Amino acid sequence: MENQNQNQNHNQNAKNQNAQNQNTKNQNASLHNHPAENQTQKQGNAPQAGENCIKISSVNKCYGKKQALTNVSLTIHQGMFGLLGRNGAGKTTLMKTLAALHKKQSGIITVCGIPIEQAKEIRSITGYLPQDFSMYPSMTVEESLDYLGVLSGMDGRIRKERAELLLKRVNLTEHRRKKVRALSGGMKRRLGIAQALLHDPKVLIVDEPTAGLDPEERIRFRNLLCEVAEERIVILSTHIVGDIEATCEDIAIMNAGRILWQGTVCELLNAAKGKVFTVNVNKKFLAQMKKDYIVTGMLVQNEYTTVRIISEETPSMLGAEHAEPNVEDAYMYCLYSHGCELSGGVEE
Amino acid sequence: MKQSSVQSGAGTAGIKNLFGLYAKECKKVICSLTFLLYTAAIFAMYYTQFHSELSGAETEPKPGFASYGMTEREVPEILMPRALDQLMLEYLQNSYTAYPIGFYKEVHLVEKKRQKMADIICELTGQTRAELNNQEDENDGFEEDGAFRFEVGGEDGIWASDDNSFVVGGDRNPVEKESSHLEYSLSETITYERFRELMREADKLIGGGSRYSDKYIVFNFSQVPKTYEEALEEYRQLVDEDKITGGYARLYCDYVGFMLGVLPVFVAVSLMQLDRKARMEQLVYSRRISSAKLIFSRYAALVTAMFLPIIITAAMAQAKVIGFYPDAKMDIFAFARYTVLWMLPTLMAVSAVGMLLTELASGLIAILLQGAWWFTGMFSSALTGDIGKFNLTIRHNSLYKLDTFQEQYGDFLFNRAFYTVLAILLAALTAIIYEQKRRGRNFGLYTLVKNHKSKSAA
Repeated sequence: MENQNQNQNHNQNAKNQNAQNQNTKNQNASLHNHPAENQTQKQGNAPQAGENCIKISSVNKCYGKKQALTNVSLTIHQGMFGLLGRNGAGKTTLMKTLAALHKKQSGIITVCGIPIEQAKEIRSITGYLPQDFSMYPSMTVEESLDYLGVLSGMDGRIRKERAELLLKRVNLTEHRRKKVRALSGGMKRRLGIAQALLHDPKVLIVDEPTAGLDPEERIRFRNLLCEVAEERIVILSTHIVGDIEATCEDIAIMNAGRILWQGTVCELLNAAKGKVFTVNVNKKFLAQMKKDYIVTGMLVQNEYTTVRIISEETPSMLGAEHAEPNVEDAYMYCLYSHGCELSGGVEE
Repeated sequence: MKQSSVQSGAGTAGIKNLFGLYAKECKKVICSLTFLLYTAAIFAMYYTQFHSELSGAETEPKPGFASYGMTEREVPEILMPRALDQLMLEYLQNSYTAYPIGFYKEVHLVEKKRQKMADIICELTGQTRAELNNQEDENDGFEEDGAFRFEVGGEDGIWASDDNSFVVGGDRNPVEKESSHLEYSLSETITYERFRELMREADKLIGGGSRYSDKYIVFNFSQVPKTYEEALEEYRQLVDEDKITGGYARLYCDYVGFMLGVLPVFVAVSLMQLDRKARMEQLVYSRRISSAKLIFSRYAALVTAMFLPIIITAAMAQAKVIGFYPDAKMDIFAFARYTVLWMLPTLMAVSAVGMLLTELASGLIAILLQGAWWFTGMFSSALTGDIGKFNLTIRHNSLYKLDTFQEQYGDFLFNRAFYTVLAILLAALTAIIYEQKRRGRNFGLYTLVKNHKSKSAA
């Protein structure tokens, strides 16, 4: 019953988020044009009807002898899509491959019906926000956008209009004449999202966008992503589970270059049902607990510690109770159930 | 907002967009520190080399002057004995002066080569080896000035003698030897052609770049005083054929253009590294623009921006020259013509090399290789009359000698056309490399080192 409630809560949150996004829909209406559609049609690469999705089929990619992507297959539809995984799982490689910045060794990728090999067409419908980026420090915010707009082949008047609109959208209007070197980390991220949306792409790829942001900036950034995901495909790659939980319905989990799991957040939560427990233990048993179980949380109290653990079976210790899995638990369970090596909080 | 209007395609909008990019790239170059330093270096070259040398108008030579200066003229009767004297001197000391890559080098021949040099001298003088050896014995310890020399004795210590010479160790009395008495003359049977052949052989034994090389032999041994008629002819050529500004423009190009063989590489490297340094590479890579458009816009911006200080200093030079000859009839386009024809191809080639090597390897490698190319090229050609088909920097270090320049004008045009075409090809190659990098293929020193390490580990 509790589990059902939790799922309902998540759905409700997503609905609320959607409702909030709906409020900004009118403001964003002009952000959701898709010039590439016209352009690619002219160039004979017309996306097929209903092909507003990314199809990845059996993709492999190596860096020298190291296999970075192994037989990756995914279908990504319109809206927010979360790609979750540890550092080094292959998320950035996949993101760069989708942005036509890396070549795959084998497999097929089509973005809105356009084969990934047609790099120029892919670039014209894709906005990319890398994990580690900045802009020319001596340029102002609006000069930076204008420069990147030129590189996107945008007409001067449109560049100006779009830059104005987007700066307003990301709350940087008052900082438009500030040099990039003077921007805070959060402002740079917002400028980053503005540049990625400048040419009104059909696909937005954002790689670890909230890394290094304070909680307030992170929430603001996540909301912004949800808003822009209304009429485009937004792929959010992150290792921060909270970002996915707050923004995405569809997710995939990657590990060691492979897709471990793909589905909705609800399905992920359902899969972890009955596998999460809480138990109150004396502090002196904590070390042993960490060795025996995957510990996903600890709340230190006066006499004992409430530990949140993952286990296939109900733990034999006294007082162990089923707990409602959150997305972090479900993610950990997913890794655990696929045989990934987890430390479970043990200090190495 | 119409959907298709966000990203413009080809046609007028595309050209306008391309021009917009070019303007932005120009601004990036001009606002950079390296460009500022480049400009300062060009102005420094202009002021220290060209501007400071011009003290006033050249005046028409009048008969009866004590001297009209010297000129190089290949006169075998003058050249041969002078060159032989110098060779004999250096042979006896077994110490030859050479400038193999432009820097002074003292060469000492090993016995085998010394014997070959002795054979050359014997043929030049008609002496036998025994006669030459006798001279060698008689003049043992010969010094060039024929005066005192140092004796190194068994004891430590350096002693100053009364006449300001020094003795290192041994007794305190410097040993004075008589000046040398060399008895030889040029063989009567030797022809000038054979003489030059033997000089080439001597140069080869020394290792090249010696006084006897084709490049230096006339300059070193055949300087003769100018006659009044020659001086007048030169002056008339400057005034009538060169319309004054022609000669000055060539001299300006020689002085300022000389540094163009290396300076532009710094600015090119700086621009090409800017994206990476600003962590903007991925943002630029992911845009729609083609690599060819981006690279050629940057290339055009580099060349335009770096040509600006050249145009400005050329205009200043022209103004100064006009000031010297207020009433003379001048060729007002000479500076413009020479700077474009002479300096622009060098600027284009060096910029393209800088861009290509930065993309292919690294900025440091680009600077080192270009520096090496400039350095070796700079000292491998003569100051005048050695334009060559493939010299990167062209020298003509004279206000006069129009006829020497005109004799090689074909080579000059070929050379400049060659470097212009090469520059454009290198820029196109840069665009290809850039596109490969955009698609994730790695180049560069870092990759090489990384691959080497992984191979070693394997």
